[in-house]
Order: sequence, then C-alpha cells, then structure tokens
Amino acid sequence: MKGFFLFLFTGIVFALLQSSVLPLFFSPNWRPNLILILILYLGLSENLPRAIIASLLLGAIQDSLCGPNLGLYISVYLVIILATRVLSDQLNVESPPLLLLLIAGGTLLQNLLIGFYLTVFAATAPVLQILFPAIPQQIMTNVFFATILLFLLLRFQRLFGYRSGLAGLIYQSKHHGT
Amino acid sequence: MRELLRRYQFLLLAIILLLITVILYSYNLRHKTATTFFERAILTFAAPFQVGVDGIVDNVTDVWGNYLWLVDAQKRNLELEQENLELHSQLQQVEEISLQNERLRKLLAFVDDLDRPALPAQVIGEDGSNWARTIIIDKGTRAGLYSGLAVVSAQGVVGRIMKTAPDSSRVLLITDASSALAALIQRTRTRGVARGLGAKLSIEYALRDSDIQIGDLLVTSGMGGVFPKGLPLGLVESVEKDQYGLFQQVTATPTTDFSHLEEVMVIVGEDQ
Repeated sequence: MKGFFLFLFTGIVFALLQSSVLPLFFSPNWRPNLILILILYLGLSENLPRAIIASLLLGAIQDSLCGPNLGLYISVYLVIILATRVLSDQLNVESPPLLLLLIAGGTLLQNLLIGFYLTVFAATAPVLQILFPAIPQQIMTNVFFATILLFLLLRFQRLFGYRSGLAGLIYQSKHHGT
Repeated sequence: MRELLRRYQFLLLAIILLLITVILYSYNLRHKTATTFFERAILTFAAPFQVGVDGIVDNVTDVWGNYLWLVDAQKRNLELEQENLELHSQLQQVEEISLQNERLRKLLAFVDDLDRPALPAQVIGEDGSNWARTIIIDKGTRAGLYSGLAVVSAQGVVGRIMKTAPDSSRVLLITDASSALAALIQRTRTRGVARGLGAKLSIEYALRDSDIQIGDLLVTSGMGGVFPKGLPLGLVESVEKDQYGLFQQVTATPTTDFSHLEEVMVIVGEDQ
C-alpha cells in the first residue's frame, strides 16, 4: 500500500513538473510525458486493481492540467494499463531494453488513442496534424527520460539494498494478476 | 454462467471500465465550460506550486546573470567588483521592472483601445501535453473570472478561459485544435473560421473567390460575443487554391508569441 501511495505522490510531482518546469526547457514536441512512463512501470510492477485505480487517478490529474476535457487521459491510461498487463504475461519484462521498447510502444499507442478519441468523440480532427508529426520526437524523448529514470531507480535500489534488478518487477512475479 | 464470468472476468472488467471512462469523457465534452470539483481541487493545489516555480525561475535567472557577470569581473579590483556587482544587480532589477512596465503599458494601451474593463493576470503554467495548447493564469473565481471570458495580450488574442479555480484559471489558446473562432481578413472583410493548428492557425470556410493575400491581417469578427470585434489574430502566411472546391486553404501565423507569454489581460466586462 505504501508503494501505491508513493506512485501517486510521484505522479502528482510529475504532473506539476510537466505543467510548470518542463515547459521552460522543452518545446511541446520534445516535452516528455513522465506520467506515461510511470503508468507503464505501474502496469508492470503493481497488481491489477491497484494499477487500474492509480492509472485512473493519474489520468484524472493529467486531464486537470492538460487538454480541454476531463476523461481523455483517464480512458487512454486505462487502455494502456490493460494492454501492458496483457503484454507483460507474454514478455520478459525484467529486461531493461525491453522495458524501453515497451515505453516506445506505449508512447505510440497513447498518441494513436488520443488521436482516435479526439477525432471520433470530440470531432477535432485537426489535432492529428499536431499529434502525428510529433510521434518520433515524443518516442525519442520518452525513451531518453525513461532511461534516466530507470538508471536513477536502479541506483537507488542498490543504495537501499533491496529489490535488485528492475524495481518492483520481482514484486510483480509474486503478485501479478492478484 | 458463473464459470463463464470467472473465465472472462478480466475481459469483462476491461470492457466495463472502458465504457465508463468513455461515457465520462463524452459527458465532459458536453459540459466543456463546467469545472468539476476534481479539476478545481487540482488547479487549486497546483497554483501555489506553479507560482513558486515562476518565482524561483526569475530568481535563478537573476542569480545566473549576476554569476556570469562576476566571473568576468574577477580580473578587476575587489572593491570595484563589489560596487559594480551591486550596481549591476540594481540595474538588472530596474531593467526588469522597466521591461515589465513597458509590457504592461502596452497591454493597458491595448485594453484602453478595447473600451472594456480588463483584469491583468500572470501566466504561471503551461499545458503538460504536446498536443493541447492551454496556459494557467494566476487569477480565478476570487477575482471574478468565469469560463468563457476572452484573454488578450498586447499583440492580440490569446484565447478564452475554460476552467476556473479560486486563484487560478486555465485558458484555451487560439492555437489549440479544439479552438475555433469567427474571423475576418481586415483588408477585404473576407469571413472565415480561425482554427488552431498547434503553432499556426488555419482559416476555414474562406470562399475560393475571396481576395486573400500573404501578409493580410486576420482579426476577430466579433461574432459569438466572446471577443470584441477587430482584435488581431494573425498574419496570413500561405494561400492555396485547389482546382476544384468551394474554399481556399489559408494558414496564418498568430500575432501573439505564445512561447514568451508572461502577462495577459482578461476582458471582464461588456462594451462601455
């Protein structure tokens, strides 16, 4: 439970960083989506009910600070969490390169889903002209930031001497699907 | 039946949750201008942090400026260095204040021309995504703001308020893909709808035969009642006419530089 609240707290910090600090240094296309990285990690490391609740809350927080309507990121992150869970059963998620590949795939899926929702439900098709050309930059920046975050995470683990390997993924092997 | 439910419980849960979130999103699309309790809480919680970051950035910029100056001044006499440092610091502050005064004077002059009461506000945050174009300002319901009010800068139209909290508000910029407002070409009075394209504006429904030239000024038409008539929106950047079709494809560059937006004015009243 402590880990769950830590995820939420980290998500809130990431949301605040994304709306106030990162815009000072990055143009919109090169701005990383730290919450997406956290959601993907959450999908691999937490059990399903907790991962879903956290993704819904983090989606609502991001909706409150991004875009015009509440509900978009809630739905998108839910799909991503469920897709991650289905995929994690088939893949060796303990491998860091695979995790980075998953982040690239997650970024692509997120952009496709946002494009779909905004075109089909909100009838704002011009958003595709903003969204799709930026996908390569988004993938690069998200993978880059995920690498930094993973590196920091592994360093912290060694520092505190627990959960060696990818943080939380050993936890997953015990609690996955419960 | 129970066995079937147990077997497909993951799929069922996924479908039900997905349906709920899609319904929530569709509901909020219908109630765009309403600020939910959750959104208000997040905006209220985020505002002090964003104001703090804004202040820290200003201070760091000042300190960094002073540090650079200090490195250069190491060759000089210590006394002179100290004196110069103080003078330099004071000068920087004066320059910053005078720049801010200049910007605010321009804003006030712009708003005076509008002949409508307006409230100054500071930009404290930006949109966290790469596709939406919104900003957060440091005034909210406590200052009398509500959804739908027009926001302008000295260069032209910025956008309109869409969500409000007691001490902050979110503004939908005119460059957001979901923003569309009635516009006209100032020179020829050709009508169209200015829609956001991220960094540019696309002018939709401009008739094919209408005379639109590169460099023409695009202004608000005043239709819809949100924005006063004649406010600058952008400058025409490209005009394309297909062989067939009723309309021409026109894009414009916004007159407002959204990457350097610090102060804005919220138009709070009706025509005087």
